[in-house]
This record gives sequence, structure tokens and C-alpha cells, in this order.
Amino acid sequence: MNLNLKAKKNNTYDAIVVGTGISGGWAAKELTENGLNTLVLERGRDVKHVEDYPTMLLDPWEIPNNDMISAEEAKHYQKQMRTGYTVLETTKHWWIRDTDQPYEEEKRFDWIRGYHVGGRSIMWGRQSYRLAPMDFEANAKDGIGVDWPIRYSDLEKWYSHVEEFAGISGEALGLEQLPDSKFLPPMELNCLEKHLKESMMDNFGRVLTIGRAAHLTRSIHGRGTCMMRNLCMRGCPFGAYFSSNASTLPAAAATGNMTLRPHSIVDSVIYDEELGKATGVRIIDSETLEVVEYYAKIIFLNASCVNTTLIMLNSRSNRFPNGLGNDSGELGHNMMDHHFRVGASGEYDGFEDMYYHGRRPGGFYIPRYRNFGTDKRDYLRGFGYQGGASRQNWTRAVRELAIGEQLKEYVTTPGKWTMGMTAFGEMLPDHSNRMYLNFEKRDKWGQPTVVFDTEFKENEWKMREDMKNDAAEMLEAAGLKNIRMFDSPGGPGLGIHEMGTARMGRDPKTSVLNKWNQVHSVQNVFVTDGACMTSAACQNPSLTYMAITARAANYAADEVKKGNL
Amino acid sequence: MERREAIKRTAALMGGVIFAPTILGVLKGCTPSAERWTPVLFNSNQASLVTALSGTIIPATDTPGAVEVGVPGFIERMVNEVYTEEQRNGFLNDLDLFDEECLNSTGNLFVSLSDNEQYQYAFQKNGEAIDSELAGGPQFFLIFKELTMVGYFTSEVGATQVLRYEAVPGIYEGCVPFDEIGRAWAT
Repeated sequence: MNLNLKAKKNNTYDAIVVGTGISGGWAAKELTENGLNTLVLERGRDVKHVEDYPTMLLDPWEIPNNDMISAEEAKHYQKQMRTGYTVLETTKHWWIRDTDQPYEEEKRFDWIRGYHVGGRSIMWGRQSYRLAPMDFEANAKDGIGVDWPIRYSDLEKWYSHVEEFAGISGEALGLEQLPDSKFLPPMELNCLEKHLKESMMDNFGRVLTIGRAAHLTRSIHGRGTCMMRNLCMRGCPFGAYFSSNASTLPAAAATGNMTLRPHSIVDSVIYDEELGKATGVRIIDSETLEVVEYYAKIIFLNASCVNTTLIMLNSRSNRFPNGLGNDSGELGHNMMDHHFRVGASGEYDGFEDMYYHGRRPGGFYIPRYRNFGTDKRDYLRGFGYQGGASRQNWTRAVRELAIGEQLKEYVTTPGKWTMGMTAFGEMLPDHSNRMYLNFEKRDKWGQPTVVFDTEFKENEWKMREDMKNDAAEMLEAAGLKNIRMFDSPGGPGLGIHEMGTARMGRDPKTSVLNKWNQVHSVQNVFVTDGACMTSAACQNPSLTYMAITARAANYAADEVKKGNL
Repeated sequence: MERREAIKRTAALMGGVIFAPTILGVLKGCTPSAERWTPVLFNSNQASLVTALSGTIIPATDTPGAVEVGVPGFIERMVNEVYTEEQRNGFLNDLDLFDEECLNSTGNLFVSLSDNEQYQYAFQKNGEAIDSELAGGPQFFLIFKELTMVGYFTSEVGATQVLRYEAVPGIYEGCVPFDEIGRAWAT
């Protein structure tokens, strides 16, 4: 009895954060900086900034097999490899082996993920855009899903808060549909991109700008500036892009209030029927298989959309037989991603004496213009484009006549300028798009497996026509030749922006979380990763997760201090 | 040199505190070497053909060629490790077919042709492959040419002596006269 009490005391904190990715890192930072003694749980191994980036400095000739993994290894990464760019020899340690945590697909779903401290903040695309006032109003206006319980004005100062710490480079434009961040200096467009920018404004009145990205173009908070290597996914030796490892977790650790526990798979949230609130979490130590309970006043679930939802669906009690806080029946539903991989590319005759220096990590951005202002389409919402221009390199010579000495000479000059762009479109929330658990089929940790039943629907398919044709039209107007359109949607999930399965809302009957990201019926549990999203907008979502997390964490800390939680 | 420079710059940026063991580990990464290649998949005819053909596609000039930088070993490793069993068997079969065709059309195996004859024959095969790829699907010659080029231009010689490579560019300039860069970038 005494021993148990002592164990319980040793395992008790003010706050528990589940997950160390983009949102978990922010929860850890804000809670610890508010003085809360915080346990941060991560299901994967520890990754120390720089020290644990084993491939960050390798030159091409130090990497075997052109950075491709062996056919034997590839058998373990069949789903993770669906992106075509994720699982390389130099990055394979960031992605899980599908054979370690299988999932089922009633309909194709690309669940691309990595388990380690830092999560996908190490491998993310770094594109960072604020949502706009119209994005928070869209559901109410269109009668789709439920209304966001917050508006842009609720989040505005938190966007600034996270941007000043994370560091977002970009160009201020004053656009209503894409509010400016607190920017570091923008990276430069190249010759052909500048040309397209002018052509788009002249011919269509549309804007093109350099991608807004979490890359430091000026050193802040002890992190170095981007060295233009474009090897981000291996981990950055300069800490020049935002990751939990380079940014939020060191800040949390510096407070002395953080206990980081890797190898901790959260099985469930412990719900106390008498108290009517959560008292802690139950974890499985992935190394020892020991089951351990940790206790806290508040719990932040930041395990990423699908895993947070998995934990909640797996937290069953008499009060919540269908999963923690699932009175509405919406938990696991309204799964969204962005639909993309549709657009066009072409070649340009000109600028033949011009080139570029350095490998800019990212391209240009074309903010949404459809269903905005006076534009009205036969579908709802819209899309933005991401793209870039470059000159063809040596690989073009594979299909050229030159061999021998001529081949060596030929490739020393760059080829034609080419340019391509893909749209990222908003996906609507739909109750029938869902994930659920198969309790009969369990993984090697004894956890139920996830089943996906999600698809793109009519609004997405209609939008894709514009996404494809507009791209070709804009390239053509800029004088590009040999324009090719592409449309290869893959499955939902491929955008790696999965979201929406524990949505925020005003009404507990139709949503899981309230306006402070508290579970309606279990107010000391907060969900601030992608699961909380009420609609998707068309912008890359990570910056919004950061802002929402910082807002909720500061609210939670205040409530703890006031004795309300 | 660029590697050394990269580490120096990294160290400078990290305020001189650099993680020596990590960097040393990275530095020890070994480069495949031509001399040490002992075929494990190719039989001796195949190995000779791969050597001769890759050397014809990228010969030694004032800079080393494909054979000198270890491309034959690179090709074998790709085929042996990255290819699926089906792709691997297809590649080996195509290698043998290439020799058979060469024998039928020239009266000699490819390796027995003179340097000039090898060039002429490969030039012809390259042109035919480009012409027939659109209708006929993947062509062995182009698959082989691509493997040779990938092996060569990701080698230190190909990337730094023939093309231009910077491990740590430091800056991005979007519109620079090509003359200031001088050669096409390797990456």
C-alpha cells in the first residue's frame, strides 16, 4: 500500500504531453514555460538534435545505390514508400516499417509516419501558411460539417507568437485570403519563376510569391541560417528549419520542468468515473513491455491525428464505451487531408545564359483565387499551388544521342528551363470518411489496428479539373511549351496532412472538442494536433497546429493555476 | 576539400562546439573503388561487358571515366540489391542478349571490338533505343546508360570534376549568369 502510494507519487506530474512532433513540442514548451512539471511521452526512440542525424553531411558518393533502399528492405516499407520521396537510404530511419504497425484499408489510405522524438517535424515540408478569416467561416457559410468554435481573431496573436519563435521566411503581401506571418526575409525566386509571376499578374491578376517556409534566413534563438543544401529531411546540422528537436524541445528542457520519456506507447487515457475526469495515461514501454501508469492534472494528446484518435477510441470505460469523450459519435469521423498531385509542367525557351547558385529548399506559392472575391465555381472552397523552376541537369542526356566523350561535354551545360506546379486542394469534412479500430486484430504491442474508410468525394473531383487546367493555362500564358498535365491523386493521407477525426465545435452533440481544444465531456484532456481540425482549408496545416497548441496550452496552464483543472 | 569545408562551416555555425564522434563517423564512409571490385552476381562475360559498355558510354578523357570511378561495381550492386528478383533476372538476360546481338551483327562480342567499333555500335544501339522506347517500352540500352550515368555523376569525380558540386552553398541566388557558375550543377 505504501509502496503503491509512493510509486503513484513518483509517477505524478502537473501535465502529460503525448507526442513530440510539431504540436507535442509546442505543448511541451508552453506548459513547461508556464511552470508546469510536464512529462512528455514519445512512443519511439530519442533523437538528439544534430547528434542523431547520422546522414546529414553525406555527399552523393558516400551514399550507396543512389540513395535507394534494397529490394529486401523495401518489403517492409511498401506503404511508407507510396509517396515516392520518403524512404531513402539516407532517411529510412525516420519512417516506420509497415510490418511493425500494420493497418487495414477498406479504401486506400496512405498513412505515412515516423516514430521517434521530433516525429514528423524532422521530415515535414516546412511550408507555413496562416489560415484566413474566410477559412474559419466557411463551414457555417456553406452548411458543411460544423462551425468552427473559433475565428481568425482568436488565433491571430498565437500565430504571431509561434512565428516569432519558429522563424518563417516569406514575403508580406497583405492578402485577405492568406494573412501575412511575422516574416524573416524571403528567399529569392529564380528567373523563370519571376517571369511567371509577372505573367500571372498581367494575364490573370493572380499572385505568385516565394513559399512561406519555416527556414531561417536570419539566425534567431541560437539557430543558424539556411545554408541552401536542400537536404532537410536528413536533419539540419544548423538547426535552420523548425523541428521540435532544434526548437521547442530544447526550450522545454531548458526550463528544467520537462521529463522526456521515449519508448512509451500510450495505450489509453485513464478516466475516473467518480471524479468525472481523466487522471493519467497508461503506457506500454516498447523496450521492456512493462505497463506503467502516469498521472497528471491535465493531458495533452499530440500523438498525430490518427494515433490520438486511436488512443481515444481505445480508452473505453463505462462512461465512454465508444471511446473517451465520444458522446457525439464523431470521434474517428470527418477524416480529411489535402488532395494534390494534380497540375502541369512545361519547358521554356529563353534565359539560356542564366542559372542559379545554391539549392533552395522549396519553391513558389500561388495563393487561392477560386471561390474568392467575385469568382464562383461549381464546387466549394479552393486550392493553392506549389511549384518551382529549374534547368534540366545531366539526367536529360539519358534520352539524347550523345554517348562517349560528347556525352561528358554535353552535360557540363545545363538544359532547358522547366517548371511545374501541383495544386493543394481543400477536402471537405464528411461524416462517412472515417477511421475505426479493429479490436480483433492487434499489433505486436497488443494495440488494436486502425482501419481506414475514407475517400475523396464529388467536390474534390470537380475541383481537380480546375487544379489541372488552370495550371496548364497559366504556364501557357507565360510562354511555356510542351505543357503536360498530370493528375495522380493517390489515396487520402498522401498529403501527410491527415486531420479532423476529433473535431472542434460549439455543440457537444456534434463535435468532440470545445473552443479551447478540451474534450467537451472530459475537460482536462486537450487535443491540439490535426485531429482537432473542423475544416481543412487549402493551406499546409502545421503552422495552424502550432498556433492552436500554444493557445490551448496557455489556457490550460492558466486554468491549472486558478485551480480549475 | 568540400567535405572539410562543410565541417568547418558547421563547426563555425554551431559556435565551435561540434560533435566530434558523429563527424568522424561520417568521414569514415567508404567510397566504392574500381580496383577492389570482385563481381558477386555477374559471370565473367557479363562483368567484362558491363565494364566495356559503361567505359564506352563514359570514357576516360582529361577526367577519369566510368570504369576508373567504379561504375561497373555500382551497376552490379544496384542490380543485385535494389532490383527485385524479376528485374534482376531480366537485366542479366538482357546483358546476354546484348552480346548475342552484337555477335550476330558484327561477328564479334562487344568486348572484342576495337574502341572505335565499340563506340559506333553503342551509338547505334543508343539511337535505336531512343527511337523505339515510345512504342516499345523500356529499352535495355537506356536502362544501362542511365545506371552508368547515375553511377558516374554521383561519384566524386563525376560530380566535382566534370560537373560542379557544392556541399554547402551557403546562399541562394535565383538569377545568375551561367558564366559565373561555369559548369552545370551535379545536384
